[in-house]
Amino acid sequence: MTHTTVRSAKAARRFAQYSCAAAAFVLMPAAVHAQSNLSSQGYGFPTGQLSARAYGAGGSLAEMDPLTPVNPASLGLLPSRILFLQMEPEFRSVKTTAGTERTTTARYPLVFGAIPVTSSFMVSLGASTLLDRTSSTSFSTMQKLADGQDVAMNTTYRIDGAMSDVRLASAWVPNSWLRVGVGIHGISGHNLVALTQSFDDSLRFSAFTQSRVLGFGGGAVSGGVQLVSSKFVAAGSARYGGNLSVTSEDTVLAKARVPNRFGASLAYIGIPNSTIAIRTTRDSWSSLGSLGSPDLRAVDAWDTSIGADVAGPHLGQRIVYLRGGYRMRTLPFQASGQDVNEKSITAGIGTAFAANHVITDLALIRASRTANLSASEHAWTLSFGIAVRP
Amino acid sequence: MLHKRILTLLTVAIAVTTIAACSEKLDAGKSCPLLCPQQAISLADTTIFAVELDTTVIGLPPIGHEAYLMLASHGDTLETRAIVRFDTLPQSYTKSTVDSVITHLDSAILITPIAKPDSLHRPKAPVTIEAYNVDTVDTDTSAAILGSLFRPDRFLGSKTFAPESLLDTLRIPISTDSVLERVKNGTRLRVGFRVRSNVGVDVRIGTVQTNGPVTLRLRASLDTAAAPVSVSPNSSTPPGQTFSSGPLEDYTIVLKGGQTALGVTALGVGGVPSRRTYLRFNVPSRIIDSTTIVRASLLITQFPNRRVNPRDSLFVYAEAILASPGAVTDIGSLLQFLSAPGSFGLDSVSSAPADSGVRSFEIVGLVRTWRGQTSTVSPRSVALLSAAEGQLPGEINFFSSEAPLAVRPRLRITYVPQTSYGLP
Repeated sequence: MTHTTVRSAKAARRFAQYSCAAAAFVLMPAAVHAQSNLSSQGYGFPTGQLSARAYGAGGSLAEMDPLTPVNPASLGLLPSRILFLQMEPEFRSVKTTAGTERTTTARYPLVFGAIPVTSSFMVSLGASTLLDRTSSTSFSTMQKLADGQDVAMNTTYRIDGAMSDVRLASAWVPNSWLRVGVGIHGISGHNLVALTQSFDDSLRFSAFTQSRVLGFGGGAVSGGVQLVSSKFVAAGSARYGGNLSVTSEDTVLAKARVPNRFGASLAYIGIPNSTIAIRTTRDSWSSLGSLGSPDLRAVDAWDTSIGADVAGPHLGQRIVYLRGGYRMRTLPFQASGQDVNEKSITAGIGTAFAANHVITDLALIRASRTANLSASEHAWTLSFGIAVRP
Repeated sequence: MLHKRILTLLTVAIAVTTIAACSEKLDAGKSCPLLCPQQAISLADTTIFAVELDTTVIGLPPIGHEAYLMLASHGDTLETRAIVRFDTLPQSYTKSTVDSVITHLDSAILITPIAKPDSLHRPKAPVTIEAYNVDTVDTDTSAAILGSLFRPDRFLGSKTFAPESLLDTLRIPISTDSVLERVKNGTRLRVGFRVRSNVGVDVRIGTVQTNGPVTLRLRASLDTAAAPVSVSPNSSTPPGQTFSSGPLEDYTIVLKGGQTALGVTALGVGGVPSRRTYLRFNVPSRIIDSTTIVRASLLITQFPNRRVNPRDSLFVYAEAILASPGAVTDIGSLLQFLSAPGSFGLDSVSSAPADSGVRSFEIVGLVRTWRGQTSTVSPRSVALLSAAEGQLPGEINFFSSEAPLAVRPRLRITYVPQTSYGLP
């Protein structure tokens, strides 16, 4: 499982690098600076593990979207083998009394492949970002030394990496009204933490950089079911978390449990090629509280959304799907002891090309994140997914 | 068909835009400390008596290895001479591409490059530089023997310079008869320089070590077609020992005022004869190997030395010793295997001999190299030396580790203790 995890993550990263290289002709190099915000507290930002299609509908389709690795039963919707990759840059602004800062974070939160074993049995392997901690924080402080001297220091924490969820899942479709699925999850990934401390007095003090790799290892199982009628689909899924540990080299630093999760969704499918859905899910993020320092505060959170995926205009033989949704959730880690809430308005579009061999989905998300603090955060997220049916 | 193309183009444009965003810009920090759970790493500070051995070695740099020859006259306090050897003199000159034997000399001039004194160190009175024939068959590096040769019957010539004329090169004419005699006989010419003035004076003369030695310019003919002959220093003794004879092409001797006695509580750099100080450290492994050192200051206490030029500031350098004490046991030899000035980020301290107080040498760049290394691989030692050693007589003195506790050398180390960072 560990090797699979590494390979999946590397494959996603390699694809991302190639994508970056391919787009280099339109890029200007950007400096990497620091980041401090409401959404990346603790072990990072929960991307939601949503596909671009589900994201476009506010996340409401997550329990019944086969490209969203939440409900394994939804794999039964896939008619053939498929490969899928998603890119998701986020343009974020954080406003505090000190001013506004704008950042751009590139994410590649989803890579996924599935293959049918029989006409009613599908197997998939995918990796998704559970918590993205990529960030960089710089600040200045003053320290008084034993000889009474004050030393001005500049500290930068640069953190790269994420906690990833690698899922091996299968779905069975015994008849037209029932789909069931199970999955096993490996929680993996790492955080590369680089600490740089420099000094205003560079004649007498020498800057230094230390780095440390935090590795994650854990497991979970999940199961899901979908009940289909002529006009409604009801879906639900749950994940049961196993042990989770964070290590540095060969030392186990802390242990916790992978957060449990359950979710349910109800969708109306009475309009041809369209879905209107509502979904809610509960994540027991508090189980991660023991994975960090005593100051780490993780909270259990609801994630509720409503949205629609409707057939829009036809372009030739092609249907263009239009999506919209609304989502509200609580983020897993508190900021300065306060819960962080997020509200999002989403829109999306999707269609297929090459005789349905290539499926593309695009979502645009406007998120507002607040806490009971003199700080607020807003973000535009562009989620672009591309699936290929070889 | 048009719709298909438009949709394809739109999809490509969206894909490119999305991929373009993979250029990250994670620019922030304004919201700290409100939204920044991370804390600055606290520094720890300790001062330890880490010097396990310190001593001063006199006679460094060795004779003939000075960057400049020290020609000094300070009355009864200090008297030095500079010696330049011309052991091979040419016997011919070139005129219109034709070689001719030297039978006559119109002029013999010692072209003497000097270090231009700055305005603070410019002599306050005219300076006379005399040249003597100091060739002898006796021990030719003995100060006592050579000093006795500075007498009227060996006088070669002299010239007096106004203070403002001490720029970069002095031209001192010497006796053409004396030189011609040696040219004709094929014998060597060894010139001893002496400086005189109404006040204490120091003149620094260029050497072969710095590619700017004294040269002897001979003009064998008044004909402008005859090129003057320029003779560079050359030493033939000790015979067959190029390693030793080379540096002796020019060197300094001390006739009066050389001080060799230093108490056990004292260390010295510079002075006459020139000296360097050796310090070996023993720093606990729990600091060197288990922490990240951000500052290491060698704190050493200076006490006044008012013998010569007490108010003339000197730069004292800390330099890393590159030879392992296991491979080279003689400290005098160790003090010659030094890193280049400025290596390892080591800096200098400016101080006058008459000053006193604690001086701080920042050696963090060197101390960091000790981490995880044995002292054989990365010697834990430092040399202190004057930037003008062998050139100027000023000497800086410090208290040694044999001195009272309050003034012993010590090492102040500021470090980052082992920390567990990275967990949120």
